[in-house]
Amino acid sequence: MINAALQLDKPNFSLAADFNVPGCGVTAIFGPSGCGKTTLLRAIAGLEPHTKGSLAVNNELWLSSQECRAVQERRVGVVFQDSSLFPHLTVEENLLYGRKRLKKISEPIEIKQLISSLGIEALLQRYPAGLSGGEKQRVALGRALLAEPKLLLMDEPLSALDQSSREELMLLLETFLQLIDIPVFYVTHSSEEVARLADNLILMSDGSVLDHGPIQNVLGAVDGELSRSDTAFSVIAGQIANTQLTGLISVDCGQGIVLQVPDTAVASEIRYQPETGVRLRIRARDVSLCLEQPKRSSILNILPAVITELAAEPYKGSRVVKVDIAGKQLLSKISEYSVQQLQLHAGQAVFAQIKSAALIS
Amino acid sequence: MLSQPDIAALLITLRLAATTTAILLLLGTPLAWWLATTRSRARSAIEAVIALPLVLPPTVLGFYLLLAFSPDGPIGATTAALGLPSMAFSFWGLVLGSAIYSLPFVVQPLQNAFSGLGRMPLEVAATLGAGPLDRFISVVLPLSKMGYLTAAVLGFAHTLGEFGVVMMIGGNIPGETQVLSIAIYDHVEALEYSQAHWLAAGLLICSFVVLLMIYSANRKFHLMKTV
Repeated sequence: MINAALQLDKPNFSLAADFNVPGCGVTAIFGPSGCGKTTLLRAIAGLEPHTKGSLAVNNELWLSSQECRAVQERRVGVVFQDSSLFPHLTVEENLLYGRKRLKKISEPIEIKQLISSLGIEALLQRYPAGLSGGEKQRVALGRALLAEPKLLLMDEPLSALDQSSREELMLLLETFLQLIDIPVFYVTHSSEEVARLADNLILMSDGSVLDHGPIQNVLGAVDGELSRSDTAFSVIAGQIANTQLTGLISVDCGQGIVLQVPDTAVASEIRYQPETGVRLRIRARDVSLCLEQPKRSSILNILPAVITELAAEPYKGSRVVKVDIAGKQLLSKISEYSVQQLQLHAGQAVFAQIKSAALIS
Repeated sequence: MLSQPDIAALLITLRLAATTTAILLLLGTPLAWWLATTRSRARSAIEAVIALPLVLPPTVLGFYLLLAFSPDGPIGATTAALGLPSMAFSFWGLVLGSAIYSLPFVVQPLQNAFSGLGRMPLEVAATLGAGPLDRFISVVLPLSKMGYLTAAVLGFAHTLGEFGVVMMIGGNIPGETQVLSIAIYDHVEALEYSQAHWLAAGLLICSFVVLLMIYSANRKFHLMKTV
């Protein structure tokens, strides 16, 4: 477990972050720009010396009222927004900087294997000034991991990259972050990155934590801040099924639910193999509810569902409704007028029309 | 050619400049580091004090040092109480005077180099397990190489060219405190122009070569960074 109760007061900003998240998997720290995500990450790393409160990472006490462990004693790996490589060292020397300082090397990481899975073998003798943005971030990730950190912190690692290298690094991270067995904190303001990478979510606004927990719980809270925002979405896991329909991919989400999503692979030239595990991101505003099954609709994904929960209050004229589709939870955001007209209530059987779903991994 | 006293003056000058530069690099490093990183309000005052030798006539500095070295002055009284010889008209008196006089030429390039680093490289090094001294040696020093080269050359060259302070506190004892600039002055006073030429032209060419070296090193360094 990672238990934190952190306070930090700065001249025109204050952070108050209390949360508990599992000590494994990827925890996304999500919120709008300027809400204190990066400050929280820096406080966890020990880079904000005036941080007060307590912090324990997998039974190691890093901060309490009695003691504050120095940054270099915490063993955090950090991947910063833009390049943080040492310009006076080659890629190889950068990679080994932290590893050389380990008191004892406990796990014999296959250095060569790590370097090749990051795709940086050819860069070892070069200096950082000659690398592309994506290459720099891959070296920075390798350098952090070779120091055998107890916790990996990533601060919007994709934000300084152009679209194509961002997608490339994203694909790498998706497989990579699942393989390593240390907890990862990943700061982002992109809901797509959350949906693709995160197992847990810490939702932040104005320097405090609004909600935290497993991603399904935080995303699925009908009264939560995230549900109220325009970016409210659900994530459903499934696997690629064989498809005969042109331009579409079928995703089998279990219990007989099969969703059809546009085959974006045509553009990005990635071929999905059957039975590959994937995630779907479905925006709440793309899900509408009908009392009867619509016929001859242009919308392909229409599934029987049961309303499980309605937000207590409408917000800005619309209301968030949670439905259960054969055990999968999905959020729908519809107008308050429709809620009243259709007299929607918990326990009611409806049909969910999913206007679009994005295949995100 | 150079006479015996001229060669002695040359050697004293080189020894003085080397000693002063070494001491200033040693003491200037923590001072410049503090100035580059502190948020203390005292910083501006300290910076102003360090920059004073840039604007004051060297004779002013020399005058106050001479007073301080006198048996009643704070430095003179201290050395007397410790049973040490007086600093006035001695080589170590010159070193102290030169160190104060050349302080800004060493501290400012170092301070600029340290400020230019930003906090990022140090924070990264800390997360990778490097302690404070380790961070300084493995990250700050190599990244501030040009700052150190500039500081050393400017400190050395500025001490070579010193005249007023030496005149006030060192006197003009051949073989002990007579430095090049004063030897040149003496030759000119005695209308020994050819002797003065040897020393003056030598100093001019040496200074030019040293500055040329530092500027081309600087250029190479920048080219390397952009490749």
